[in-house]
Amino acid sequence: MPLANPPAPQITRTRSAVTASNVWRAYGSGEAQVVALRDVSVQFASGAFTAIMGPSGSGKSTLMHCLAGLDTTDRGTVHIGDTALTGLGDKALTKLRRDKIGFIFQQFNLLPTLTAEENILLPASIAGVKADPEWVARIIATLDLSERLTHKPTELSGGQQQRVACARALATRPEVVFADEPTGNLDTRSSGEVLRFLRRSVDDFGQTIVMVTHDPGAAAYADRVVFLADGQIVEDLHRPTADSVIDTMRGFENRVPLAGEAR
Amino acid sequence: MLRATLKGMAARKARLILTSLAVVLGSAFIASALVLTASIRATVADLSGDAYRGADVLVQPLEPENRGDRLVRDGVTAETLAAIESSEDVAEVSTTVSWMVNALGEDGKIVGGFAPTLSVNWGDASVERELREGRAPETDREVAVSAQFVTESGLGLGDTVTAYALDTDETAYEIVGVYGYSGGRDSLSGATELAFTTPEAQRLVFGGEDAYTAVAVTAASGVSADDLLASLEPAVGDEAQAITRQAYVDDLNAESAEATKLIGYFLLGFGLIAVFVSVFLIANTFSIVIAGRLKEIAMMRAIGAGRGQITRSVLAEAGLLGAVASVVGAGIGVAAGAGLTSVVANGFLDTASTSVAIPWTAPLAAVAVGVGVTVLSALVPAVRASKTPPVEAMRAAAKADKPILGVTVTGLLVTLLGATGIVLGLNETFDGDNMNLMSAAVGAGVVFVGVALLTAWLSKPVVALLGAVWSWSFAGRLGRLNAARNPRRTAVTAAALMIGVTLVTATATLLTSVKESLAAQFESSIQAELFITGPVTSSVPATFDPELMDDVRAVDGVDTAVELYYDVAQVDGTEQSVNATTDLEGGIALFGGEVVEGTVENLAEGQTVVNESSADLLGAGLGDTVAMTFSRGTESREFTIVGILADNADTDGWYVDRSYATEFYTPKPTTALVDVADGADVEEVTADVEAVLADEPAVSVQNHEEYLAQVTVFFDYAIIAIQLLLALAMIVAVIGVVNTLVLSVLERTRELGMLRAMGMTRGQTTRMVTVESVTIALFGALLGVGTGLLLGWIVQQALAPSGIEEFAVPTALIAAYLGAAVLVGLLAAIAPAVRASKVDILGAISYE
Repeated sequence: MPLANPPAPQITRTRSAVTASNVWRAYGSGEAQVVALRDVSVQFASGAFTAIMGPSGSGKSTLMHCLAGLDTTDRGTVHIGDTALTGLGDKALTKLRRDKIGFIFQQFNLLPTLTAEENILLPASIAGVKADPEWVARIIATLDLSERLTHKPTELSGGQQQRVACARALATRPEVVFADEPTGNLDTRSSGEVLRFLRRSVDDFGQTIVMVTHDPGAAAYADRVVFLADGQIVEDLHRPTADSVIDTMRGFENRVPLAGEAR
Repeated sequence: MLRATLKGMAARKARLILTSLAVVLGSAFIASALVLTASIRATVADLSGDAYRGADVLVQPLEPENRGDRLVRDGVTAETLAAIESSEDVAEVSTTVSWMVNALGEDGKIVGGFAPTLSVNWGDASVERELREGRAPETDREVAVSAQFVTESGLGLGDTVTAYALDTDETAYEIVGVYGYSGGRDSLSGATELAFTTPEAQRLVFGGEDAYTAVAVTAASGVSADDLLASLEPAVGDEAQAITRQAYVDDLNAESAEATKLIGYFLLGFGLIAVFVSVFLIANTFSIVIAGRLKEIAMMRAIGAGRGQITRSVLAEAGLLGAVASVVGAGIGVAAGAGLTSVVANGFLDTASTSVAIPWTAPLAAVAVGVGVTVLSALVPAVRASKTPPVEAMRAAAKADKPILGVTVTGLLVTLLGATGIVLGLNETFDGDNMNLMSAAVGAGVVFVGVALLTAWLSKPVVALLGAVWSWSFAGRLGRLNAARNPRRTAVTAAALMIGVTLVTATATLLTSVKESLAAQFESSIQAELFITGPVTSSVPATFDPELMDDVRAVDGVDTAVELYYDVAQVDGTEQSVNATTDLEGGIALFGGEVVEGTVENLAEGQTVVNESSADLLGAGLGDTVAMTFSRGTESREFTIVGILADNADTDGWYVDRSYATEFYTPKPTTALVDVADGADVEEVTADVEAVLADEPAVSVQNHEEYLAQVTVFFDYAIIAIQLLLALAMIVAVIGVVNTLVLSVLERTRELGMLRAMGMTRGQTTRMVTVESVTIALFGALLGVGTGLLLGWIVQQALAPSGIEEFAVPTALIAAYLGAAVLVGLLAAIAPAVRASKVDILGAISYE
């Protein structure tokens, strides 16, 4: 029973792509203050697929935003590779996101004015560099998008749009891809396609992926699931299955009965 | 429902403010136009009220019949003055001797432009002159000058000034005093003044006769103005006319009311154009606001709100917004009108004090127009909103644009309809039918609307073309794509800018064409190389000594030289141009004129030559007799028509022998034509002729180019005036572009957040928005230039039979308009771009 296992020791055998150490993050002040992250320390191994789970308000999105350089931390440090994010200005953070991070959003967030191919090449265009054509072609083939390259987002289905977004996130070979509820807006079939691709990009291309999700089925595709509740890491599950994830969730719902309602 | 509307409005303050800006501007223009007109009228009335202050009755010379105020030769005589002074009802009498004069400035040129230079008598007590330096003139060779004269002439206390009237010799005077007027003014309505002793003033105006241009009489105590007028009647007799000062001031006011009426129409026209433009802005903003609220509206429909309720809710929002905005606009407009009054008054009328009049119609009209326009503009978006199906509430946001085929076809048809209206109207206009002129004007308006409808269709290819300029930068490319993203929105925004640019381009094109046509005609007909003539703006027509013509003819290389005398005379009871010359045949030849009938050789006394249409006007032909009375003539003279000329703008009018010029208003020649012999060096001849005329400061020697530039100077002023119109249109357009951009940025917050998350820098974001802005602005300007050229061309073609045969494109001006459009785009982009670059990434990408 995974639940019976003690928390796994920190993975030290591989290099860590993203590291958070003693991160605190609070919003508002005084009575209205909400502490989103309390002293969170976590490492994400390079070339691994990690899911972050937790009920609404557990701080999982905040954690991802802090890791991706979109939000600042109150205390503690975040490293992407060897770069410390703490204390970086907007310019440096922007450059870091551009060069080292890929994003996949729940709402796809493709530019409606650009074709699928232009959307895929968007991060490279923003950086003013040329994407590796062989690499891009390989991703496009893997995602089965070759027929759709000249289409505008409005001409694509939700699943196709999210596959374009996946290709976009990987096109510049970022150090880490952050996926925020990537299957939240998709039907089961499209979700499967997207998750299988994310799995393959880790297995075949050695991509590092951190995914926020509330779907145990999606989390089951990951190598490891980190559970958050009330701004703290409460479980760390390796080699999860859908069932073990659901069991874990039930388990800590029992231990922390009100966590699900916490806002 | 109203509660929901109000709460909804409160929740969207930023958008409300943007929408209302257009309304505020439109109603502010209307209000300020009305206030400015009324205030200028009041200020001018104050000025008129200054005239002969304190007097009760004015005695003035009889106006020469039908000769207007062109010349006062007969003043109020000394006998009449004595008779007035002897009346028991008279307490005080002040005498005025004032007429136009030429004075030479420091540079030897005639002082003054559009405002006249006057000679006055220092002793005139009816004007409050205040000495600032020196003293009053005591001898006939001393003069005091107004502060305005000092400014314009460059001369000052202790300097010598040369002045002369039409029929007096140049005389040198010592400036012994400098004065201003009550209230610290430098001039009265911008005129420059020289104050002489009374006898010297009389010499300049009446040739030394003891006479006055006006006598102001104050009644003894207990005598009313009307009683005084009645008691003075016998003293004044038939030699002069008496009028109460009140009646005189009323007349002045009535005259200025006529003049200010035109200014009022002009300003109101500006206001209406601003309102017309704001219709586009308001409709556009409402469409965008409603597009952003589709989900909300669909939700309302889903929970049972009827279509009528949705329409009414949007219209209620428009009505409320229109009311608040137009009240603010009316306030701003009234304040601006009041402020502008002093600018206008100081700039053009030179009054120390201005009167601000606020007619109750000003705020009322502004609010009525503001509310009306807002509600009308919101009508189409409101009805469209009501058609939102409830199911929209459940659908995802991404949707394809609506097709624009219907709008495009309608636009094409409307444009053609308007163009047809213009062509039909103009073809018939010159038969004198006003209805057709209306048809042309309405046609032009219809073309506007048509092109505005077409803009959506045109936006794709044109914006793509414009965008090619930016494609080197990725941010620029995104900006260009954004500009083409919503063709309707881009189109309406650009259309607002288009209107102003169309107006100025069409007017500038037409004026340039007229100018070029005149020049072309001139070049093809005029044989003379040089002209001796004065500036068109001098107070007194520029003349020169005819004796000098012999010296001009003697200059080496001069073939022929013909001087012309000019007068406006009574010919069979109508005002006609009459010319006199020593060498009619030579003059006609130099002007490229053509003799149709009879002869133009050696005009004898009692003979005249005239062009065909002037003769037709009087129903006269070869051999017929006409009666002429010249400006200074005391009797009517009979002339027999001995020659008929073909119509030609340069030779039209009547010609008589040079001996009659003594009876002309200007007894000296005003113009001379010099034909340079073939092979002679024109520049050398010019220098030699200039040397002959060295002592004639009023005139100069000009070649074709200089002469043309002088006669067409009016067109240059007109073109400058219409640039003001452009400036106005540009201001409105900036607001329109800002509106569209800010709303677009709001709509695309998520997209911007995504781009920033993916590593787009603030600089790139700013550039993207700026390119979108400049592209929209340039698109509007290009449309405007295109439409303006088209309208200009249509009108020019229609006028071609009337002699406007050349179509000229004012390239420099058009380049300037496009430059201005780029500037508009850059300015409009500032706020939205900053906003876009500061977008909160987290807020933008978090899902609700």
